[in-house]
Amino acid sequence: MKKFSLTSFSVDHPWLIVAIIAIITLGFAIQIPKITIDTDPKNMLPATSDVRVYNDSVEKDFALHKDTIVLGIINKNGIFNQTTLEKIARITDEAQKLKGVVTRDITSFTTVDDVISTSDSITVKPLMSEVPKSQQEIDGFKKSIYENPIIVDRLVSRDGTATAIYIPLEPGANGKEVADRVRDIASKEKGNEEYYVAGDPVARDTFGAEMFKQMGFFSPISGMVMFITLYLLFGNLGLISSVMAVAMISIIWSMGLLIGLGYPVHIMSSMIPVFLMAIATDSIHIFNEFYFRFRELRSHAERGNERAESGNARRQAVLDTMKVVGQPVKYTALATAAGFGVLAIMHIIPVKVFGIFIAFGTIVIRLMSFSLIPAVMMLVSEKKILTAASGEDEAENRTANILKNLGAVGTHKSALVVVAGILVLAIAVVGISTINVNNNMVNWFKKGSDVRESDRIMNEKLGGTALGYVVAVSGEDDFIKKPETMKYIETLQRDLEKLPNVGKTFSVVDYVKRISKVFNNNDPAFDKVPDTKEAIAQYLFMFSMSAKQSDLDNVVDYPFRKANIWVQLKTWDAKAIQDVIDKVKTYTSSNPLPGAEFKPAGTAYFNLVWNNEVLYDMLKGFILALIIVFVILVFNFRSFKWAVVAYMPLLFTITVIYGAVGFIGKDFDMPISVLSCLSLGMAVDFAIHFISRFRRRLEDSVVADSSASLNTPINGQLLTDSLLWTAARPGKGIMRNAILFATAFSAMVFAPLTPYVTVGLFIASMMFLSALMSIIYLPALIILFKGWLFKKQ
Amino acid sequence: MNKVSINSFKFQVLCFVLLLATCNLQLATSAFAADAADIMKKSQLTFLYPGKDMKVRVYMKLISKDGKERVREMTMLRKNYQEGGDQRYFIYFYQPADVRDMTFMVYKYAAKDDDRWIFMPALNMVRRIAANDKRSSFVGSDFTYEDVSGRDIEDDNHSIAKEEKLGDKDAYVIKSAPKDEKGADFSYKLSWIDKGNFLPLKEEYYDKRGELYKTFTADEVKNVQGFPVITKRTMKDKKTEHKTEVTYQKTEFNIGLDDDVFTERYLKKPLKKWIE
Repeated sequence: MKKFSLTSFSVDHPWLIVAIIAIITLGFAIQIPKITIDTDPKNMLPATSDVRVYNDSVEKDFALHKDTIVLGIINKNGIFNQTTLEKIARITDEAQKLKGVVTRDITSFTTVDDVISTSDSITVKPLMSEVPKSQQEIDGFKKSIYENPIIVDRLVSRDGTATAIYIPLEPGANGKEVADRVRDIASKEKGNEEYYVAGDPVARDTFGAEMFKQMGFFSPISGMVMFITLYLLFGNLGLISSVMAVAMISIIWSMGLLIGLGYPVHIMSSMIPVFLMAIATDSIHIFNEFYFRFRELRSHAERGNERAESGNARRQAVLDTMKVVGQPVKYTALATAAGFGVLAIMHIIPVKVFGIFIAFGTIVIRLMSFSLIPAVMMLVSEKKILTAASGEDEAENRTANILKNLGAVGTHKSALVVVAGILVLAIAVVGISTINVNNNMVNWFKKGSDVRESDRIMNEKLGGTALGYVVAVSGEDDFIKKPETMKYIETLQRDLEKLPNVGKTFSVVDYVKRISKVFNNNDPAFDKVPDTKEAIAQYLFMFSMSAKQSDLDNVVDYPFRKANIWVQLKTWDAKAIQDVIDKVKTYTSSNPLPGAEFKPAGTAYFNLVWNNEVLYDMLKGFILALIIVFVILVFNFRSFKWAVVAYMPLLFTITVIYGAVGFIGKDFDMPISVLSCLSLGMAVDFAIHFISRFRRRLEDSVVADSSASLNTPINGQLLTDSLLWTAARPGKGIMRNAILFATAFSAMVFAPLTPYVTVGLFIASMMFLSALMSIIYLPALIILFKGWLFKKQ
Repeated sequence: MNKVSINSFKFQVLCFVLLLATCNLQLATSAFAADAADIMKKSQLTFLYPGKDMKVRVYMKLISKDGKERVREMTMLRKNYQEGGDQRYFIYFYQPADVRDMTFMVYKYAAKDDDRWIFMPALNMVRRIAANDKRSSFVGSDFTYEDVSGRDIEDDNHSIAKEEKLGDKDAYVIKSAPKDEKGADFSYKLSWIDKGNFLPLKEEYYDKRGELYKTFTADEVKNVQGFPVITKRTMKDKKTEHKTEVTYQKTEFNIGLDDDVFTERYLKKPLKKWIE
């Protein structure tokens, strides 16, 4: 007749439970060595996604390389001297020997083709086939370089202090490894040149490599800090070990399952352990209550001698604890699981995986709360608990008083608190409206870091390290060779170059103009697109007779139906390429070119699409989760009204945090988007605990005080007392949870990668905010709306 | 004491023997090297210098990785001025259509840089083109100028790597490494030279990292007026998977080309009989 209760079973067979869990955990743990890692954010979109298929086809059409590393060489005194030029030649030679680079397409002074006109002939040859030695030669070389607009801003800065070597990577090569080897080559050179390595693959692969290092370093540190804090709070190694064990078990189960099912660990899923650790701290509420209960029961037992057997007292304390805390623990876990679980219906696969496995881990944690934790509570030495719990007594008055006072602020000055809250909320909303949805990987590195500095300096000196393409597409062979097409593209380029973040554009037109000028004895009057298609075709043919194949292939396709305009951008911000796309749209719609359309492509464009698909997917999931959590609250409290009240701290916390994100100008990027789901599950926890316990306390008090009734206008004193009791007792659990969080995650603030700093700060401030909100704002709301809240019940 | 001296005597003997062996080895290598260079020289003569002069219609197909094609069609005239040395080339383009009537002329010298001229019909203008880089692509194909007109035998160290059968033909496999590392794109190349007629059957080019990057194959050899001629050849780029197929048609030798064919006047207005 009695329903099976996991808790009482665990209390009665603690060792059995521990053994069963250990065996299951081992089963998941042996999956973990099979781990495969994928650090490329590109893979968040499947290879079959439109943008990737399209980009691949553009790369094929124009024989382009997916990834290119840029080595910047800067000499403050100018690069036009024999030593620096020799270094450029030497480094290019060395770089050509590196594994993983496309040797022949390395672009530098010594490899890029240049068309020049000498007294009696035209020459197509590498810009610097031989290092000039005499001052006269060097001056001549410098002059010829600045006469060639194709080179300026791409290979040499306008001020003559910087040059670049572009090193394309073979498919599958690791950008960080090649970048490291390029740095090695550069570091062998002595002198006052400075070297900077930049480019999308460097940022991406360096981040990928660093990410796992830091996960391995900071997760244990967070764990350690958490452990120490727990010890300071509860003073019993056995019990706090069980909290840590719950965290570890949930991590092992969910990561083991993820790996066992054959999913690679992506950037997103690599955050699962940290998140689960955070979620696992929810079991503090159980300990908090258990300490209170245990002490109370012990003192009863000692006084009344009713329960002489101490084991019984303990058993009762555990069961009682679970009875009162069980409900909120169950629902907080449900809310968290829902917050992440909702990601399962999104369409980006790593987002799905991330959501599902955190939801799974959360459920594991909840399962442990009702099995492992009660079991361990039965196993630890009673004396030790007593010592720890009596230590509680002394500290209790102080903490409890502080919390009571906090609760009292809300209770007694409810109107003021609510109005102040609304004001803060209004300001935060303004902040939110300024949030920028953008994912710039370079910004994942701290200011002053190698990657970020290199990027900044290269963008200052040259056309830009971020690369996008605008592709002119027609359905007609040789369409690109028409003078009107050429002139159209040229005007478009000039138009694009007016954008603030466009550093340089480059197309087949630039070659044609260059050849035209050179062919006509450097006469500037011929620095233009010729008037006939034949002339254009013959110029290009002449060029192709001497230049590298890739020179032309990179800018026109085989049948001359398509042309590729290279657009160098000074930032990876999504807005930069968005501006380009907008500009192309306005230009082409105001004066269309019949028979052709212009489409964006390239890495910068991919990032933009990625931004939109992945980040907006997360945003959608977040909003959906907000709704679902509300529904869960309604179920939990069996009351719409109480759900609304419990929702307030969550709404407030999230609004304020995102308001702050908006005000400090932090982008809504991948780390932030991931955190948003966590914030929602966690921020609602405290409110669930607070209200559940408050309502239970109130009911108990009403039963005790026969003169009061919940149906009559509520007894003010009773209400205030219950609120203050809740603020002091479960409030202590809430505060402990918040402190634990904040300290554990504050360690991450020292991480060298900004996403971890973000995670640390975000979680810590979120916990404090929602703890404070629950303890101050909830009493205020309850007092203010007591008429509405208690009307019918 | 005694023992030591015996040992040191033994050591001296050993050194002497080793020295002899090394000398022998060196002699053997240099003899081989001379052979290898001779083979390469002979091969170049058969491949690039047959007859006094030559006329041929060349079809060139540039094929990209995904099968897209560009076509070049031209008539090539060649006249030898010195065996294994100076030559003159004249090329008239039929295709691509928009470059029809373009002509191209090369004076190839054994000892110095080539002279090249180009005629642009759209501008009715002849310009000299300096030829600093023999390694650049010939009309956008996978062949370089060097591949078309030959590389100086003296620029490389040659050795016989092995002798083996390629298909049903016996071949020398010659390894050629540039004397000046900067003077070539390849770090070394292997050539399979037909022992029967000395034509190259296959060439493999290895880059600075020692990786194979392009391969030449002689796909069809025909006998024309007693000269063995590679009438179909392919150069395939291993890295880009781009390839160029070349077909020779209407090959004729010893047609009696005048010297004035190779002048600027003819560049602008080539005689019909020579280009058709």
